[in-house]
Amino acid sequence: MNLRFPLQNLAMPLALLGIGAFFALQEAAFLGPRNLTQLLVEFSITGTLALGMFMILLTGQIDLSVGSGVGLIGGIAAVLVFHHGWPAPLALAIALAAALVLWTAMGTLIVRQRIPSFIITLGGLLIFKGLFWLVIANATVPVSRGDEDNLYALLTTYYLPARAGLALAALVAAAMAWLGWRARRARTAAGLPVRSAAREALIRVATAAGIVGLALLCNASRGVPLSLLLLAGTGGAVYFLSQHTPFGRYLYAIGGNEEAAVLSGIPVARVLVGAYMLMGVTVALTGFLTTAYSGASTTTVGDLMELDAIAACVIGGTALRGGRGTVAGVVFGALIMATLLNGMTLLAVSPEIKFVARGVVLTLAVWVDVKLGRK
Amino acid sequence: MNPILQARHLTKRFPGVTALRDVAFDLQPGEVHAVCGENGAGKSTLIKLLAGIHPHGSYEGELRVGGRVAAFRSVREAEAAGIAVITQEFALVEELSVAENLFLGRPPRRGLRVDWPELHRRAASLLKGFGLDLPPQTPVHALGIGQKQLVEIARAVDKQSRVLVLDEPTAALPASEVGVLLDHLRRLRAGGTSCIYISHKLDEVMAIADRITVLRDGATVATRDRAATTIPEIIRHMVGREISDLYPRRRDAAPAGSDLPPHPRPEHPPARLETGGREPLLEVRGLAVARTRGGPAFLQDLSFAVHPGEVLGFGGLMGAGRTELLLHLFGAWGHRLRGEVVLRGAPYPAPTPRRSIERGLVLASEDRRRHGLVLGQSVGFNLSLSSLGQFTRAPGRLDRPAEHRRNQALFDSLRIKAPGQQTPVGGLSGGNQQKVVLGKALMTEPAVVLLDEPTRGIDVGAKLEVYALVNRLTAEGRAVILVSSELPELMGMSDRIIMIAAGRIGGEFERGDFSQEALLAAAMGRTAA
Repeated sequence: MNLRFPLQNLAMPLALLGIGAFFALQEAAFLGPRNLTQLLVEFSITGTLALGMFMILLTGQIDLSVGSGVGLIGGIAAVLVFHHGWPAPLALAIALAAALVLWTAMGTLIVRQRIPSFIITLGGLLIFKGLFWLVIANATVPVSRGDEDNLYALLTTYYLPARAGLALAALVAAAMAWLGWRARRARTAAGLPVRSAAREALIRVATAAGIVGLALLCNASRGVPLSLLLLAGTGGAVYFLSQHTPFGRYLYAIGGNEEAAVLSGIPVARVLVGAYMLMGVTVALTGFLTTAYSGASTTTVGDLMELDAIAACVIGGTALRGGRGTVAGVVFGALIMATLLNGMTLLAVSPEIKFVARGVVLTLAVWVDVKLGRK
Repeated sequence: MNPILQARHLTKRFPGVTALRDVAFDLQPGEVHAVCGENGAGKSTLIKLLAGIHPHGSYEGELRVGGRVAAFRSVREAEAAGIAVITQEFALVEELSVAENLFLGRPPRRGLRVDWPELHRRAASLLKGFGLDLPPQTPVHALGIGQKQLVEIARAVDKQSRVLVLDEPTAALPASEVGVLLDHLRRLRAGGTSCIYISHKLDEVMAIADRITVLRDGATVATRDRAATTIPEIIRHMVGREISDLYPRRRDAAPAGSDLPPHPRPEHPPARLETGGREPLLEVRGLAVARTRGGPAFLQDLSFAVHPGEVLGFGGLMGAGRTELLLHLFGAWGHRLRGEVVLRGAPYPAPTPRRSIERGLVLASEDRRRHGLVLGQSVGFNLSLSSLGQFTRAPGRLDRPAEHRRNQALFDSLRIKAPGQQTPVGGLSGGNQQKVVLGKALMTEPAVVLLDEPTRGIDVGAKLEVYALVNRLTAEGRAVILVSSELPELMGMSDRIIMIAAGRIGGEFERGDFSQEALLAAAMGRTAA
């Protein structure tokens, strides 16, 4: 295990580098600021959904309905805005509420009736797809009327002004360094092991440089996309939940040994329903982002996104059996998936080959997961 | 005579630990050779090496079977060489029948098809020869833990293995079945089969073994002929010190002789323990419980009470309902038909594990790998799992440094043998895993502690620490309900004993009236005449 871990940690950056290099060699525009900004928006969409899926997978459950859900929830908001002329914030809030209701219902069914999540969410996949097409009446429903900008459309079209983006990046980098330093002090005080000072400093500086560098890169094109901030916010929230709250511990415990979790006094039913509710929230967010990104709700929005989300989690080291996984890994996995899809689109790879490539990636990721889980 | 199995200079290293150092061991044909040692002494590692789980090349030294150097790369190769290992975890397929399990992977065939009549006939005769009164069609999941073990032993015996390795074979067996097993081993020995017998039950070891080897800290400390040694001598070798009193139940307030450090106080002690008075902490009146809603009563007419500072023991045969009673009180089993439970002066009609822990009732369960621990997580993760509320600050944030300090205090006071609280709990020895289970229960600051077979499969030194812990709990005014299959332990540690027979109270005994005969008679539903 001691030998395997550094390898595993390096494997993902190397894979990303390899994929990036391949696309860059095929098509120089891949590395252009314009495409990279676009890639970041697509990454935000995949990443947000993967973060929700992460919490479900941690408990050893699965959710196959999220792709259809993404379409449905985005569609509801689009119809309210375009056909009914509702203000975008209200429409988004109503659609979010609908997502919460649906995912609470699914979670409750799974927990109370003890029906495997695979079945319930497979049902959800079909039901939500049907409802989605009913809601948008098999038509294309734009996210805004005419050319006016509303909150819905801005989700993926708003970019921070260059200065604001840079300032925000600096602020975040400073905040992370400060939080990291505080955590380190607390760990030292409690006698927990800490990284060596040099290593710690290196990591802090690298993180800060990465964040500021990202902002500079974005500024070379149109600025830091709003959707990336949403992903960062979601990622921060899921990180806090999974690592710094009893709820997060319980997710890991339930996935590790559900019987022991029950006997340890963990409110397993409540935690599972909670995980599905959070999944619902990320489905809604992803639905808004991806619908806004394509400019309108159409019948294909959200197709197969559940598989991209699962693949991102598994590539990032989340165990399908539950109990193992990290937020950083999931975000990285989402970046790899987004890069693959973006690169293939850029190279105008035919849809047939895209399907095959996605399938191969998913299969490979699960194969590695099984290999690791067996030792 | 040439030894059938011989090990020389065996050394096995794990990262950070040397599990075996220069171990020598040999086994003669037709010999029962017992291996004794504390938790982490290296017994399990030795077995895994013999069984091919640690493949050749991952250790140093030489292993010979039947005079030839053995280089097992897998369990299959070890089995092919005639070494059968029966471990504490069952290798049975729960959904298949007893007969199918007995001939798993080698069913009698007629052409390409399985010869079912022949399979059932052979299974029936095998079970009969083993003294097991079981229809061969019974699915294994319907068996008790003791019966499963016997089925597994019967399977290995039938495979005509030359060397049987039994790892704690009687940990879950009631006295009557232990006798059957030992008789069977004697018969096998007479037929020339050799046996490596690993057990913490030294009476058994003395009853069956021809020779006894003691391991301590991964090294061979002594190998003795059974006739030339005594239980005290073996214990002395195992722990490296003399143990005068095996069951040091202390009823006085201060566990003065205990060499455990004082119980660490939590940073925010939930002021839950009411002081003084002889009000029972837990009282049960006329309890009847069914396995499922609408089912017949499995537990009936149970009435008892346990007071502060008291250890109430529950004994009985396998399947009498002791474990089910504890699980039900805790809120994890059965459907209550009748009766009342009063916990710390308040009625407690609808228990759930969560509510029980909140109200100061906690269970350390028998099957620690299945019910007690999240094996993939660390020692610390498991210790605090039931007590995270103590470390939760507004707005729902875990105070991880505080949690870590509390974990460390328990880790130290329980003397958990592991590199640290970040170590995955799945890799610890049985005794240390049990300490983690107990530590998790203790951290909830309970008033009533339900202990189900707390010393099952753990060694003498760890047992003593568990007993000292029980004394400490009662000295602090808590009450303990102890379920144990070992009568000497039950008699040694309990202030009062209730024997359960077929779901009812078979007899209740005060400390002065304990006798093995009376207790056994009550367990079998006969009144001691």
